[in-house]
Amino acid sequence: MTLSSPASLEKFGSSAPKFAERMGVLRASPHLQPGVVTLLVLFFCVYVGYRSGDFWSALNWQLLSQPLAEAGLVSIGMMFVIASGGIDLSAGAIVGVAAVTAGVAAHHSLSVPAIEAAALSAGLLCGAFNGVLIGVFRLSAILVTLGSMILFTGVALAISTGSSFSDFPNGLLWWNDATLSGVPVEFLLFLATAAVAAILLRYTLWGHYVIAVGSNRVAARYSGYPVALTLFCVYALQGLLCGLTGILLVARLASARADMGQGLMLMAIAAVVLGGAPIAGGSASVIATVVGVAAFYIVQDGLLLLDVPPFIQHALTSVLLLVSVATGNLLRGNGEDRQ
Amino acid sequence: MKSPGISTWLRANFHRHETKLAALLLLLGIALAIAAPRFFSSVNLALLARSMGVLLIVSVGMLNVILSGGIDVSAGAILAVVSVVLVRLGNHGLSASAVLPLGLLTGAALGAVNAALIAELRIPPIVATLGTAGLFRGLLLEWTQGEWESSIPGWLNAVGSPRWGGLDASVLAAALVVLAAAWILHRTQIGRALFRFGDSPVAAARTGISRRQPIYFAYVSLGLLTAVGAVFYAAQLGAVQGNAANGYELTVIAAVVLGGADILGGRGSLVGTFFGVLLLCSLQQALVLLHVATFWQNIATGAIVLVGVILSAAPHIRRRVVLPQSASA
Repeated sequence: MTLSSPASLEKFGSSAPKFAERMGVLRASPHLQPGVVTLLVLFFCVYVGYRSGDFWSALNWQLLSQPLAEAGLVSIGMMFVIASGGIDLSAGAIVGVAAVTAGVAAHHSLSVPAIEAAALSAGLLCGAFNGVLIGVFRLSAILVTLGSMILFTGVALAISTGSSFSDFPNGLLWWNDATLSGVPVEFLLFLATAAVAAILLRYTLWGHYVIAVGSNRVAARYSGYPVALTLFCVYALQGLLCGLTGILLVARLASARADMGQGLMLMAIAAVVLGGAPIAGGSASVIATVVGVAAFYIVQDGLLLLDVPPFIQHALTSVLLLVSVATGNLLRGNGEDRQ
Repeated sequence: MKSPGISTWLRANFHRHETKLAALLLLLGIALAIAAPRFFSSVNLALLARSMGVLLIVSVGMLNVILSGGIDVSAGAILAVVSVVLVRLGNHGLSASAVLPLGLLTGAALGAVNAALIAELRIPPIVATLGTAGLFRGLLLEWTQGEWESSIPGWLNAVGSPRWGGLDASVLAAALVVLAAAWILHRTQIGRALFRFGDSPVAAARTGISRRQPIYFAYVSLGLLTAVGAVFYAAQLGAVQGNAANGYELTVIAAVVLGGADILGGRGSLVGTFFGVLLLCSLQQALVLLHVATFWQNIATGAIVLVGVILSAAPHIRRRVVLPQSASA
């Protein structure tokens, strides 16, 4: 996984015609892929709206926005992880750990804030575990999280002893039921988190460190950046967001099981990549990530309303990922640099 | 008194990952000899060998892919597709001599799809195989409509039934696959090219190795070996369905990585992979024998993978600091 070399910069140096220069800038733009994905999804929305009357109903978008918010939170954490040059295969397992922790806490009839705090700290602890191994001990992210994914799945099963929990207090289920002028609170929480993430990424030193570490870890270390601390915080944040997702999932499904986060990890990686972020790291955009995750859920929902068989929906969303990444690569024309 | 030969050999091999793995295996063996002597009964050892067959065959393919600097998370989906193809065609009355080549061809073709996405469209391996995993699995589930194929043809059943003192054909096949892979990886041009390409694609290109050849070889060989594994997978289970082998690719990657293969490519060995598979399988078998709850099996497997990662990284931590990522990719 190499870093993209400044092919576009060389173009600025030459005295190429203005149109070609502009095209070069557009092709190298990080907004290209999320832009194209947004356009494609908008066309798709118009088509589905024409074919199915239910698509533009408020209820459809309410139901759509809740799973979108859950996957979106994990995706934002994953965006920081991928931007820092890593990957987190254990995200889904952490969601499971947080969910069953909330289940056990509710089982012991703790108060709602205590349940939420327990789930969040369980997520944070799992993320910190990854962060120590990857940041401090400098182990490979994909290998550590592969191991910790299996480990956390076992921990979640151990905490829940393999059973599922129900009977959650109404205060916790509030997360699912409450709406603010028609918009589910869950979705608003996701938007707020996205805004905070954008500020962290663009306007704080830590955001700068994350991108620097992802672009070139050695250069970052030689520049005196706190690489270990930056990476630790990246994985701890991912753990915290997975914990939050666990709470929201428990609230929506009114039950908690160890395998609840299954599928969220792959969805999050796919969403970040669909937004155009290079899997090798060094670049990130919150808007692009939100576009990526929204595209997946809107397309899936649209296909459902078009009566496409469920398994074909699954296959088509995978095709969407492959096609958009391939076109992004070909348009940018920097394939030579990406191995 | 140690002979000088042994001490030189020890000094030369002491820091090899395989030596550490062997020590780990020895520790596990001693612990088992005390806690569960039944583990070493011939019946149990035969069971262990049978459980290793499929994993070892697919792991050799995954080793090729990881040596090339890539990764393949669609192996589980390919395994499911091929095993359903084999059983469905077999149940339709096609003979074994027609079904087996078709199954192997399916596996190789799906591997070629991955390779084409990576080599021609230049999609990063993890993204490409993430996409094809969803694609293959989705199409397979649409084809089977989620139903079980609960009976398998007689010839396939015969393949999976134990003979030769509890061993079945999968053990023989795994041995043949490892021998063939050893020859290809170390004695042929394409095998050496795989190592060099994985170590540094740029340097490999300078020495005249195209990027297509190693990529196609790695992913097609994984597809083919996954298909071989699927034959024994279906034969041993006696029933297949579209959701079969969900997440199997992660077990395979864990085994190869535990065997000391470098996820950045270019370094890894068949001996290490064999030890990795042996360690994972004997740990699982031992925990079953000791009547340990499932979640402890997960925790122990995860812990052993992390130990393997730490063991294999320890001597290279300095290297990782000095070399920029782009130089070792």
